[in-house]
Amino acid sequence: MATGEPVLAMERADLELGGEVAARGPWRLAWERLRRDRAAIAATAFIVFISLVAIGAPLVAHLTGHPPDAQYRDTGLSINGIPVGPNRTFLFGTDELGRDVLVRVAYGARISLLVGAVASGLAVLVGIAVGMCAGYFGAAVDNLLSRFMDVILSFPLLLFAIALVTVVGPSLPLSVAIIVFFSWAPVGRVVRGQVLSLREKEFVEAARSVGASDLRILAVDILPNLAAQIIVYATLLVPLSIVFEATLSFLGLGVVPPTAEWGSMLAEAVSYYQVAWWYVAFPGAALLFTTLAFNILGDSVRDAVDPRGERMFVRG
Amino acid sequence: MGESYVAPVPCGDDAPKLTRRDRGRRIRSGAAALAATLGLVVAACGGGATTGPSPSGTAHRGGTLVLVGKGDVDHMDTASAYYTVTDMLMRAFTRQLVAYPASNDFKTATTPVADIATQVPTKANGGISADGKTYTFHIKKGVKWDTNPPRQVTAQDVVLGFKRLCNPVNPVGAPGYFEGTIAGFKDYCEPMLKIDGTVDAIKSYIQSHDISGITTKGTDTVVFHLIQPASDFLNIMAMTFSSPAPEEYLNYVPDSAEFQQHTISDGPYRITKYDPGKEIDLARNPAWDASTDPLRKAYVNQIKVVEGLDPTASYEQIAAGTADMDWDNPPPTAQLAQLVASHDPRLEVGPPGSLNPYIVFNLQSPNENGALKKLAVRQAIEYAVDKVAVEQIYGGPQFNTPATQILTPGNAGYQKFDLYPTPGSKGDPAKAKQLLAQAGYPNGLTLKMIYRTNSVHPQVAQTYQASLKQAGITLQLIPVPPSDFYSKYLEVPSVAQQGVWDIADPGWVPDWYGNNGRTMIQPLFDGRTYGPDSTDFGDYNSPAVNADIDKALAAPTADEAGKYWHDADMQIMKDAAVVPVLDQRLYFMRSSRVQNYIVSPFTGDGDITNVWLK
Repeated sequence: MATGEPVLAMERADLELGGEVAARGPWRLAWERLRRDRAAIAATAFIVFISLVAIGAPLVAHLTGHPPDAQYRDTGLSINGIPVGPNRTFLFGTDELGRDVLVRVAYGARISLLVGAVASGLAVLVGIAVGMCAGYFGAAVDNLLSRFMDVILSFPLLLFAIALVTVVGPSLPLSVAIIVFFSWAPVGRVVRGQVLSLREKEFVEAARSVGASDLRILAVDILPNLAAQIIVYATLLVPLSIVFEATLSFLGLGVVPPTAEWGSMLAEAVSYYQVAWWYVAFPGAALLFTTLAFNILGDSVRDAVDPRGERMFVRG
Repeated sequence: MGESYVAPVPCGDDAPKLTRRDRGRRIRSGAAALAATLGLVVAACGGGATTGPSPSGTAHRGGTLVLVGKGDVDHMDTASAYYTVTDMLMRAFTRQLVAYPASNDFKTATTPVADIATQVPTKANGGISADGKTYTFHIKKGVKWDTNPPRQVTAQDVVLGFKRLCNPVNPVGAPGYFEGTIAGFKDYCEPMLKIDGTVDAIKSYIQSHDISGITTKGTDTVVFHLIQPASDFLNIMAMTFSSPAPEEYLNYVPDSAEFQQHTISDGPYRITKYDPGKEIDLARNPAWDASTDPLRKAYVNQIKVVEGLDPTASYEQIAAGTADMDWDNPPPTAQLAQLVASHDPRLEVGPPGSLNPYIVFNLQSPNENGALKKLAVRQAIEYAVDKVAVEQIYGGPQFNTPATQILTPGNAGYQKFDLYPTPGSKGDPAKAKQLLAQAGYPNGLTLKMIYRTNSVHPQVAQTYQASLKQAGITLQLIPVPPSDFYSKYLEVPSVAQQGVWDIADPGWVPDWYGNNGRTMIQPLFDGRTYGPDSTDFGDYNSPAVNADIDKALAAPTADEAGKYWHDADMQIMKDAAVVPVLDQRLYFMRSSRVQNYIVSPFTGDGDITNVWLK
């Protein structure tokens, strides 16, 4: 909707003006559509903002004078250990140990964005590799890899995560590994499906007939044709990873205290929401708006790349 | 004391088996809830006394007292029952030679008085021999079993109660108390634990073997011969383990499902229905004669326990008045703030007297060149810990007192001292740094702390981390599953020797109060008991303290024992074996119609045999 109308108007304008006619590739068109999508612009702006906050977390700590793990037991807590609300010293209030929620939300952004980017990046890489192998080589390889993906997709995710963390102990790299493990399979399936049809195309036949190796065909001929889908998928995978990581931390399976992280802040805040709304509100809002921004951006990218609105496979 | 000593009460949420786990559980969830929501200051709790409303109006007989909660009793058999909720229930259908009176005065409430015995034996009345090694009890006429027809409780029943403690199926959780005091108990007990767990095998063993230290004269006199004088013997006799057992109990495997449906009462109530995990109903016991029982007023006609409810559901029922007391769920987080803010009289606060939490040092740790083997390092940590910060996590000063020693007020040997005073109990980083420099760590050091991932333990661990950081000590926090905390870490010597942990924060609630070194100092600090499953977690072993323990256990009077317990307390603190952090209270919720609610320090719960309903 938002993308369709302006694009048509623009194209008509070009024709009416009768000016220079320039050939515009699909990428250029997608970019034009995206640029005119206000929701996408707002989402991008928020992502840039939260990224700056993440990068500048030490600056936030410096400006407030509150290191992320410092406990302000006298000024930041009542005698009974109840957090104090937003005030001049603590703009976002304090948590149950008298720490500055503002500073911790800023530091939490680092973990969330880092995990979001790293985990979804790795998941996409694994998904591409497995999906392309399955789709291109077909037969036994496809059978094996596809069943493997089915197994992953049918794994009881949280049970598995809880069991693993109990054995190994919680840590950030482990959270990333768990997220990647559970996120790559849908990407793999989509890629496999695409590659199945692409490998029958004439340009692939042509490449094969001139003696190109499988690796070259995959990298040079097929991969670029997957780019649109992959970009869309990666954008949508980021918020999923962020929420997944927050879920793990919420359950005590993610980062180890005293590291600030949105999910674990929310977990601790749950028992305080009646007396300390700020403790649940700020990390909650940060998580909500960050995932919302990535989701909106992802949707817009998909609309821009694929204006007819044909929905790709989306993990349920 | 025998090497088969079993520690009474590691507390905290996840105490090992055979312990009074509900008490720990209550502390855990209670503390979490408190920490979460206390907004305003509650009315100050009286000094050493338990709080409780003074009975208003005249006591009213009748009605059904409804308790609501989550879990079930651990056992229905006095031989093995060890949970606090079980003790609370057992007060209604079991009696002991001596027992604790319901009182808001801590001293009174922790001193045993005669229950089915005619009087408390003393040297003055001849009940205790001059050498303090023989205790003679006479059983009151008119104390009867709820049999058909009702039958007098006899000295032989008392003996049978002790003989059943070592059955191989559900043995007593704290054999050390009996093996360490009663002559011949260990010799009787050890072979019995190895026999088959069948009715016939147990019956024939009991009928063919005797405990040499327990004898009877006629049917109303029982005599205990001790290995050595034990000034806390009456406290041991007041435990539910020490209850008499009717001969009918020989017809069942101890605490089997069949047994549980056939309990026989000598108390004011009897069990009329027991549906495990769901419901326990008690009604008046017609065989009970009030004139024989000065301890239980038994105002209500019926007692009903409804199980399987989560804390919010039980709170709501109590608040609405459809239930009367909490069974094992303290008021939940969300509602507690309002109770406290409005000074709600339905929120009841129990007595102090626990050492929970405390910091234990792993004295065997090789980390940082065996830093914790150095006294100055441990003393530095004594100074560094901000106890008020931990108090804030556990609900604030109304429910906690910063602890400076092992023994708590009201207990034998308690003399207030504080070897490591800090301003306002908030820690003294400068002093700590100075001690660390003396010990050869001018640039600080790094230690490993294991902590449980549930309840408020993560917050407490982070608080220790923050306060030690100011003294230059970096704490590396290692989360461990709550169920493994004791069993796979603190109680495993090889784990300690490898330096898997340097410090940890266990908790401890004694089995009884008053003259209780046997259930406080001995299990935690007798280095001769160190080994797998020992509760001397840090391998503290001081010849001076061991000698004090021996002398205290053999002392003829509580006062004399108290001197040795105090010496041990002082020595342990001089050696900085642990950092006592807080002395916590329990708290409870009751409905507004419940009157005369008195928290029993022994059971750690309200006394259901003395409340009445408005």
